[in-house]
Amino acid sequence: MNRGLLRISLVCLAMFVLLLLNINYLQAFRASKLAAEPGNIRVFDQQFSYQRGAIIAAGDGTDAKIAESRLIKGTDTYQRYYPQGKVYAPITGYDTIYGQSGIEEAENSLLAGTSSQLAVHNFTALLTGKEKQGATVDLTVSPAAQTAAYKALAADGGHSAAVVAIQPSTGAILALASYPTFNPNDLTTFDGATLNKVDHQLLTERSQPLLNRATQETYPPGSSFKIVTSSAAFSEHKVANPNTLVNAPEPLVLPNGNNLINDGGELCGDGHPPIIQAFWMSCNTAFGELGMKLTAPTLRKYSSLYGMNRSLSIPLPVVPSVLPEVKGWTDPSLTAFSAIGQFNDAVTPLQEAMFAATVANHGTLMYPYLVQQVVGPGLSVIQQAHKRVLSRAVSPTVAGYVQSMMNQVTHNPGGTAYATAGPQVTGGITIDGKTGTAQNGLDNGNLDDAVFTCFVPGGNGQPSPIAVGVIVQGGGFGADAAAPIAVQVIKAYLGAHS
Amino acid sequence: MLGFAVAVVLFAYSAVGLGLKGKLPPGLPVDILVFAAVMLAAHLAVRRFAPYADPLLLPLAGLLNGLGLVMIYRLAESGRGGNPGLQVTDMSASATTTQLLYTGVGIIAMMAVLVLIREPRVLQRYTYTLGAVGLILLAIPAMLPASHSVVNGAKVWITFGSFSVEPGEFARLALAVFFAGYLVNKRDALALTGRRVLGIDLPRARDLGPVLLAWAASLLILIFETDIGTSALFFGMFIAMLYIATQRTSWLLIGVSLFVAGSWLTALLFSHVMERFTVWLHPFQGTNPTGIAYQPVQGLEGMAFGGIFGTGLGQGQPYHTPLVQSDYIFTAFGEELGLVGIMALLLVFGLLVQRGLRAALAVRDPFSKLLVGGLSFVLALQVFVIVGGVSGLIPLTGVTTPFLSEGGSSLVASWILIGLLIRVSDSARKPAPQPIQDEGMTQVVRAA
Repeated sequence: MNRGLLRISLVCLAMFVLLLLNINYLQAFRASKLAAEPGNIRVFDQQFSYQRGAIIAAGDGTDAKIAESRLIKGTDTYQRYYPQGKVYAPITGYDTIYGQSGIEEAENSLLAGTSSQLAVHNFTALLTGKEKQGATVDLTVSPAAQTAAYKALAADGGHSAAVVAIQPSTGAILALASYPTFNPNDLTTFDGATLNKVDHQLLTERSQPLLNRATQETYPPGSSFKIVTSSAAFSEHKVANPNTLVNAPEPLVLPNGNNLINDGGELCGDGHPPIIQAFWMSCNTAFGELGMKLTAPTLRKYSSLYGMNRSLSIPLPVVPSVLPEVKGWTDPSLTAFSAIGQFNDAVTPLQEAMFAATVANHGTLMYPYLVQQVVGPGLSVIQQAHKRVLSRAVSPTVAGYVQSMMNQVTHNPGGTAYATAGPQVTGGITIDGKTGTAQNGLDNGNLDDAVFTCFVPGGNGQPSPIAVGVIVQGGGFGADAAAPIAVQVIKAYLGAHS
Repeated sequence: MLGFAVAVVLFAYSAVGLGLKGKLPPGLPVDILVFAAVMLAAHLAVRRFAPYADPLLLPLAGLLNGLGLVMIYRLAESGRGGNPGLQVTDMSASATTTQLLYTGVGIIAMMAVLVLIREPRVLQRYTYTLGAVGLILLAIPAMLPASHSVVNGAKVWITFGSFSVEPGEFARLALAVFFAGYLVNKRDALALTGRRVLGIDLPRARDLGPVLLAWAASLLILIFETDIGTSALFFGMFIAMLYIATQRTSWLLIGVSLFVAGSWLTALLFSHVMERFTVWLHPFQGTNPTGIAYQPVQGLEGMAFGGIFGTGLGQGQPYHTPLVQSDYIFTAFGEELGLVGIMALLLVFGLLVQRGLRAALAVRDPFSKLLVGGLSFVLALQVFVIVGGVSGLIPLTGVTTPFLSEGGSSLVASWILIGLLIRVSDSARKPAPQPIQDEGMTQVVRAA
């Protein structure tokens, strides 16, 4: 009978081996898939059973909580709350039972306390019996600038629009607003059915409230791109200095026989103005011809130096602003349009702010960022932002030339933004800028997009405090629709920092 | 070894308290002292009545029993007395004490086995008596009205008032004795007669009788008591013992195909059996996770939540799984002790089975060999059926996890099984009796 017993022993062994293999597969390999299974009650309970870290707008030197987790009375559960709701929505994003967006997503492991950087802290908390807690994320955002930005966009009357403000010397983002937007408090419910309903409503709404226009949408830059074209012209020695005379015919006959005209067919000076006049008047023909002289690859090179043609992580993902290498892009007739921010040029509102910030920071573009520091539950700083150079776009001399031209846009009575961003409307604040009124759509069927990029120049050894980029979709003239928004943001920011 | 097992239980017990509330459980000293005393008594009984027994059997079983107690304490405490979590339904606050009491009863039953059965062969005398007892025990729940026999959908209980017994657990032991006695008598007929067809030795038709009878009985259990688990164990044990006795592969093939055909037939006939298959194959499909597959899905997600190292005792959320204290207790171990913890548990079970099979190999008497071989196999099969069921390897059938699950019948029956293993291992390892005619030095007598 022993032979039979030995065989039966093998059957027993096989059963145990099968069990061991199966639990290994289940708990080691299939575990993460099961954790992601919708309605996994354990993962869900754990997620809200301890306090998620707060998000703080610390750009004004005082801490403004813009996202925090509050204990629901009589339970062990924390619910996310956004005290300012819509104002910071494009920055904070949302934290729902199904997922996150914005900073909530980008910094999720730190906020949730699951990051390996918090492992030591979590372990001590485990030993001392303290409750696990997420880390606090301090943002560079200025509550004054952000509130002004949101109010200005909301007051504009329903246009889709976005504004971004940057500190040029560091790249710290001071404001980032998008309109229309959503209230993240509507998405913090624990009820899956309600959440699905709200989510569906937000996703299907025509105004696309969930779209972060500041970082996720591109628009033609229009004449604001002349900053890049003139920077290329000075750097490549096609134009000596702002007073050098340039050719500005009306119209400019392109190699393919088409005409490039100035806005409204207006004559640009005497047809041979200094480049500074062509810039403040925003003459298309002068810069179209310069663009053809520079050629498309050179324009693209300088657009890249200004931060275009690459994606960014601030740490929100930013889609690339582009001067794309599409079919036939080197055709001079098309390059003339590229040089004035048309054809296939497309930029984010963030990129608009980066144009001005580069000039304001003497030609050096700093990498834009939102997170100043991450503070662990024990108040120890886990991460600290360090400013870093994204690109040395142009020399300080060239940046100085461009700045003097941008100064005339708002200070010369003939400048395009004299009436809306000049000293008499800013209450004495000097703003140097460039307008853009970008045609869009295939046959320009839509209303023009209004674009404005500007900065407050530094002085007396102080760096420039703020650069702002604004795009109002279908807003019309950049000077009329976009510039006032920038002025309000700047006034609010300087008011809080004087 | 036993001291080590008690120490492991002590640490696990303390860990539950620390994990739940951050302090040692108030009942810890008393419970651990009682447990240690019971184990010590068992140890002394083994030393006295079965001195040559395999020294691993008692510590292994004691360790499993102790860890089961710890987990039952953890589950009973959940959501009570300011502890985090939800209360486990159908679990009273005194579950730990009750289980500890049954541990004592189990140990007493084991000692009774050791005292009453001094030679395993004695049992062979009661082959048919125990066979009848086993069948009656199995059949009682089927006869009783549902109010006295159904708990959680399975009609395998005898309940009066708050007290309930699962007679199937004891019937299995009685039937093991019956099978062993019957097969020892009939093995030659079963093994040697018959015709050879296509390379397989087919038995004679009249020898097929008992196999068909066992098959029919297990099907009847399946149908009348809606319990696939018990019938699988019952039939599996019979087939394994038949194979050990005859070593004829044909019995194995006939048995397995009969069982598969029977299950398939019942799956077609009875919707609740079919549902088990659906739940097994598609737990996450459609509304299954919140409907018919809620319990298995909770079990799987619990084990996955524990991952490799587990959440730590008292720090998981096993209370989400329905019946986590009985059928699903293994998933609670998986969640809180992790993959490493339950691999260790399975190894302890594996070692227990291996020691049992070892005793069966070593013992000379064919009856004991068959009995212990069958009991060891059914222990392995029971672990396979329930652990495989809750971890999604095979369709779930409700059987208890030996030593771990809450419930007295299973625990007492498991300890009786251990008693039988100890008794047989003792007679297997006992040195051969000395010849009694010791006449001292041989004296050479010179005959003159």
